[in-house]
Amino acid sequence: MNQLSNPVEVMGIDAGGTMTDTFFVRADGEFVVGKAQSNINESQAVLESSTDALAHWGRSVEDVFPEMVTCVFSGTAMLNRVVGRKGLRTGLIVSKGFEDFHRMGRAIQSYLGYAFEDRIHLNTHRYDQPLVEIKDTRGVTERIDSQGNVVIPVRLHEAREAARELIEQGCKAIVISLLSSYLNGKHERDVRDVCLEVAREKGVDIPVFASVDYYPVRKESHRTNTTVLEAYAAEPSRATLGTLSDSLKDCGASFDLRVMASHGGTISWKAKELARSLVSGPIGGVIGAKFLGERLGYENIACSDIGGTSFDMALITKNNFAMHQDGDMARLVLSLPLVSMDTIGAGAGSFVRIDPYTNSIKLGPDSAGYRVGTCWPDGGVDTVSVTDCHIILGYLNPDNFLGGILNLDVERARQSIKTQIADPLGLSVEDAASGVIELLDLSLRQHLRAMITGKGYSPRDFVCFSYGGGGPVHAYGYTKGLGFKETIVPAWAAGFSAFGCATADFEYRYDKSVDIGITHESGEAEVEAAVGTLQAAWNELREKVLEEFRINGFTDDEVTLTPGYRMQYLGQLNDLEIDSPLAALSSADDWNELVQAFDDTYARVYASAARSPELGFGITGAILRGSVETKKPNIPEEPDAGPTPAPEASLGSRPFYYEKKWVEAKLYKMELLKPGNEIKGPAVIESDATTFVVPPGFETFLDVNRLFHLIER
Amino acid sequence: MTTYTKKQVTDLVKGELDWDSLHQMLSMPKDKERYGQYMEVLQEQVSWDDRILLPLGPHLFIVETGDNTLVTKCGCGHNFGDYRQNWKLNALVYVRDNETKMSEVYPKLMAPHTDWQVYREYYCPTCGTMHDVEAPTPWYPVIHDFQPNLKAFFDWLDMPAPANA
Ligand SMILES: [Zn+2]
Repeated sequence: MNQLSNPVEVMGIDAGGTMTDTFFVRADGEFVVGKAQSNINESQAVLESSTDALAHWGRSVEDVFPEMVTCVFSGTAMLNRVVGRKGLRTGLIVSKGFEDFHRMGRAIQSYLGYAFEDRIHLNTHRYDQPLVEIKDTRGVTERIDSQGNVVIPVRLHEAREAARELIEQGCKAIVISLLSSYLNGKHERDVRDVCLEVAREKGVDIPVFASVDYYPVRKESHRTNTTVLEAYAAEPSRATLGTLSDSLKDCGASFDLRVMASHGGTISWKAKELARSLVSGPIGGVIGAKFLGERLGYENIACSDIGGTSFDMALITKNNFAMHQDGDMARLVLSLPLVSMDTIGAGAGSFVRIDPYTNSIKLGPDSAGYRVGTCWPDGGVDTVSVTDCHIILGYLNPDNFLGGILNLDVERARQSIKTQIADPLGLSVEDAASGVIELLDLSLRQHLRAMITGKGYSPRDFVCFSYGGGGPVHAYGYTKGLGFKETIVPAWAAGFSAFGCATADFEYRYDKSVDIGITHESGEAEVEAAVGTLQAAWNELREKVLEEFRINGFTDDEVTLTPGYRMQYLGQLNDLEIDSPLAALSSADDWNELVQAFDDTYARVYASAARSPELGFGITGAILRGSVETKKPNIPEEPDAGPTPAPEASLGSRPFYYEKKWVEAKLYKMELLKPGNEIKGPAVIESDATTFVVPPGFETFLDVNRLFHLIER
Repeated sequence: MTTYTKKQVTDLVKGELDWDSLHQMLSMPKDKERYGQYMEVLQEQVSWDDRILLPLGPHLFIVETGDNTLVTKCGCGHNFGDYRQNWKLNALVYVRDNETKMSEVYPKLMAPHTDWQVYREYYCPTCGTMHDVEAPTPWYPVIHDFQPNLKAFFDWLDMPAPANA
């Protein structure tokens, strides 16, 4: 195929702390992956990584960028800025008398992200340093009550004084978050205007963020944290993304750089709400799985991604993933809608120790992370990790770990396992190491089962997608005996998150809290008012969404708007997010349709019998999503080449320890296997960035879309 | 099991250990060497040679003297006597029992009424270090905080118990 009829169309960027990965997809679905060290500036790392990737096709950046149509970025810089507390110095203006609530934090923030053992171990609870210090916080006299009425008018001369002091102290941004502002934003907007006026008078150009302009939702801590992040963490990223966008344009790019956001869509780097791109990596895989499912006819998918430090799971039911309304990230409660995921802190790099009291193997909660394990002497790790066990048992290839960029010392790993694990337990090194792997697989399997059965489903109704660098190594182990319809490993498992980001829609989403409650005693007028409240909220949000698209040069009629709402049975604690069956509401009759859509969803998510319409219905939030068409990557499709792998795909064999004996596993190069090829375990299928393990008793075949199907015999 | 360097234990005692190490120390099962290391670090902080057996506070210890008697001792070397006796009986005491004295340590109206509760501060007669503060009702006897069973404690640590424990 020539280049003109088969252009490179899609680029995904995953800028991690150590490596920057790029992922390019051609029109025919073929893709390449590039790597570069991140320890140079972001733009430079992306260009070097791109050069590395495109070299596989013998093409250059200047050659390819002009023909590309879309590019999605996800990175960890913003998150690192928050975790390391290295953000923009931000001033905070709150209701007078409430100056301390930000630094006090919600109690849950003292143990967010902890392993279960530590959550119940109070001594380990700890509050991180606040994003805004108390000396950069000011109170302004004002009060709006819980119904949105002005009780004390805002004293703007205090706001003026506060702004002056904060600017003189050296704050580079000001955030305003007043009580109940989501019900009545007037005070916040007045204070915002005063701050902007003071900045102008002082001749400084600093951004001012009123929470009502960004996240008009209930819960002060969540709303304040999120708005502060917009200033503290996202504002600096705006500058780096701008530079990156410019340098892509210098190479001939005409596409707009987009960023993966927590709600599962991609947004422009110019977006007003950029903080929602804080954590995006693991979400990419879920979006990618949904996309593949829609194209290939899998409507129920259990997504699983195992990395060095964690195991991330998500469920797609009837081609939909669930949303979590108040996501938390970096140990902060936030008002960000987040693709719902379950994460446990056990991964391929978890540390392994012997518990001295029970004399049993204990995994984690900490992990070797990028330092791999004792098998990598340069990593400086002395404690055995799960990776060490995989290395000595023949699961992973010590000469091709991460494409061979690290020199691993198998003997050192063996010695560490012997002294730290095997000898104390009186086991052989092999049995100790395989015990560790079995324990990890068992623990992952239990969590996966619990996530599915806990929501009232059975694994029988799901296919399991396994991806990420570590997923395919463990796929057989954590799915064994669970009874999934199928277990599927995409041949591009390692780049699956970047692929997923590239499949995401260009979509903005705005949320607003509302308080609506309707029971069977409510009269027509009340229902009418409720419908009016929801429609008014949608109108407000529509303006924001359209504004975001206008920034990127889209006209209003190019945008597809999807209104939604969060509804619950009155008195219940949890609400569900529903796409509205109606584009606009006009009369009390429309209420019944909203209720019907909720009832149906409730029956699907839980059970018909659990529905409780007698309680009445409440709406807690209005949602508006807007999207425009984007180019998606094609799914590869290749002709069936028959069951026997080509001779060049074979890499020989190596000893592999499984169920208490050494067997000889056949080795294959993943990229050289062809659709239709069938492989019986024991076999190990290797690629630079991932390893797919097929133990005895399992077999796999590659389908025409380059998906491996793992089958338990 | 995790082990720690003496530097880490020293930093722990000084309150200067980084949070990640401290968190790990709190979360992991305690290593066998830790108590010995801890006592070593404490021992280096004092100028005398009597063996520290158990700290009662940041500057107050139960120690074994050269003739194997077990006494409570201040970091400065002041001897409070037999460890089974309440060392407070041999300390200097300052009692905050009126509003004026309370206002030195708390803002007005933020301290207890001294008819109901007083503060008794115990100081070393030699160096003036404050070792403890009690907050009892005014008539309450001097509180004997802690009477360790050293024999059982050392058996539990798997370390040799002092001769007179
Ligand atoms: Zn003293």
